[in-house]
Amino acid sequence: MIVVDEYLAVRVLSGDWPVALPDTEDLALPASRHWRLLRRLHGPSGGQLSQILGTLSARDRDTIRFPYPEVFSVLDTRPLLDEAAQIAARYGGLGWLIAETLAAGLTYGKALYFGNERNVGRILHEIADDLGIAVIVAR
Amino acid sequence: MSTVDLTEERRRRRRAGDPRLSAKGREVLARITTGDLQDEFQEALDSDLASDPTLGPGPDIDVT
Repeated sequence: MIVVDEYLAVRVLSGDWPVALPDTEDLALPASRHWRLLRRLHGPSGGQLSQILGTLSARDRDTIRFPYPEVFSVLDTRPLLDEAAQIAARYGGLGWLIAETLAAGLTYGKALYFGNERNVGRILHEIADDLGIAVIVAR
Repeated sequence: MSTVDLTEERRRRRRAGDPRLSAKGREVLARITTGDLQDEFQEALDSDLASDPTLGPGPDIDVT
């Protein structure tokens, strides 16, 4: 299982497979990151992004709302919660997104794949290094 | 009779993306992830961390 971020999940579902992303294992998106994608779809915040997302058909939107597991799956949070809570407690002040992503990285291959370096964040990067989780930006 | 490599076929299908997505939908998603709306998309993702105390860290932690 390869853990990916929002960028890679969206790129993969649209058939734009990054060269640096392995295709030998199934892809999985942490639930908190799926939540952020769903917020973009259901809670328009104004601006050009909302306008363009508003042009997606219901069928197009379903590819994000209910992804085909063959393309990527959304990770079940429950088995990760205890590990995530331990990480949050150990490093202090972490929210669900970072803690769950790190727990997923620890559980699945000790690697996290991102589609944009800006989406990694300094805190996640530092803790991932400390935990021995590789952070890979696949453009 | 020819044999089909199921692993290779599965990989090919996955690389092709979600068949439900229209050509227009692909264009929209490309603009968000690799095109002109990347910055706005990232700002929207970041705003979730700032506005949701469960999802993001406390206001005293700079995640960027």
